[in-house]
Amino acid sequence: MLTEYGRVLIFILVGAGIGAISMVFAWLLRPHRPYPSKNAIYECGESPLGDTRIRFNIRFYVIALVFLIFDVEVVFLFPWAVVYSALGWFAFFEMLVFLAILLVGYAYVWKRGDLEWDKPAPNIPRYERGIGVRETPLTEEELVA
Amino acid sequence: MGLLNQRFENGNVLLTSVDDVLAWGRLSSLWAMQFGLACCAIEMMATGASHYDLDRFGTFFRSSPRQADVMIVAGTVTLKMASRIKTLYDQMAEPRYVLSMGSCANCGGPYWEHGYHVLKGVDRVIPVDVYVPGCPPRPEALMEGLLKLKEKIRKERLILKQTA
Amino acid sequence: MIAQELYDLLKTTFSDGILEAKLDGVIDPWVSVAPDRILDVARFLRDDERTQFDLLTLLSGVDMTKGTLAAVYHLYSMKRNHKIVLKTFVPETHPHVQSVASIWRTADWQEREAFDMYGMIFDGHPDLRRILMPDDWDGHPLRKDYQVPEFYNGMKVPY
Repeated sequence: MLTEYGRVLIFILVGAGIGAISMVFAWLLRPHRPYPSKNAIYECGESPLGDTRIRFNIRFYVIALVFLIFDVEVVFLFPWAVVYSALGWFAFFEMLVFLAILLVGYAYVWKRGDLEWDKPAPNIPRYERGIGVRETPLTEEELVA
Repeated sequence: MGLLNQRFENGNVLLTSVDDVLAWGRLSSLWAMQFGLACCAIEMMATGASHYDLDRFGTFFRSSPRQADVMIVAGTVTLKMASRIKTLYDQMAEPRYVLSMGSCANCGGPYWEHGYHVLKGVDRVIPVDVYVPGCPPRPEALMEGLLKLKEKIRKERLILKQTA
Repeated sequence: MIAQELYDLLKTTFSDGILEAKLDGVIDPWVSVAPDRILDVARFLRDDERTQFDLLTLLSGVDMTKGTLAAVYHLYSMKRNHKIVLKTFVPETHPHVQSVASIWRTADWQEREAFDMYGMIFDGHPDLRRILMPDDWDGHPLRKDYQVPEFYNGMKVPY
């Protein structure tokens, strides 16, 4: 009697309702005694200093963007996969063309190195490893040779 | 806003049963704030490890005071650390308890006489519920301390007004 | 090089800086250095080919009573496998010693500890402040005439 969407709606309402009811009960029962020292920002017992706005690496943005693109691709794959048996060969080759276009993008991102998290810098040893440590570091000529 | 918290004076069988259930819920999952300062921390770790498991009591260690129910002060409390302990105790959410583990946290321990840098007992800065003596206390002693704390919580009232 | 040879080498190089020595004790033969020459002596001991003391294993303060403080330097050479102990004696009223933090980096925190516990001031130290006691503590605890304060920030200190 209920449509497919109706079932999903019931699901959502019950899930949200259970969470809401438990939170309301907790709100009624728990003690609420705030004072300034309790509401202070937590910094392992010290007084908080410094700004909360920090700069973080741009790699996060790049990874999120690449993920979003390929996630949308998968979203397009799902309905096609569901009705695939009813479609003919034309749908198959059309999806292959779609995947091929996105494969070109994937190859570009891979080649560019955006899939690597770390871009390692070469580590040139300045000191010779041995039983004793060198008094003076190796000069440029000795390093290259 | 805690509308039902400590509200009712006369108990009836329904309210006391609800209070019992709530007290049982609170004592069965006491999340400990790990506050290992010195040697007692090793014993606390041993108690939490697999031989003397604390997880079977529902206790495991949280790093933040915001997520903890009980603060186990394990180790020597120096004067430099005491102000931080006060801040962290303030930042714990109620209902909160303190278990003082070991001789140094109870009364200053071996440093009571000549320790110029030691706070002689953590109860000089925060209120303590259970003291566990020992230097360091054996894991079984710490477990008994936690069980005593659970007995104390069992007598607490959340909905009914707390009587002495 | 044994202690007697090191002492002779130091005496010939720094005739006025080296004050006395006790080389025949049970442990740790030591050489006493004037407090304003300790930096030159330390640099010489680290850089010279015959000594090569590249590790400062310990720098500590001593309260000798009678109004004298001492700084003790235990040096060890990893290449030559010999050790020596240097001592400087300073009066308690003017406890200034040259800092060797520029020669051995490990002296940085050890000098901070000597300052915190004894009040010895190391001239030329990059960041001389308390390391063990809280920053607003009064007094230097390991001196022999130290009195434990009654209260610190509202907390009772003695038992």
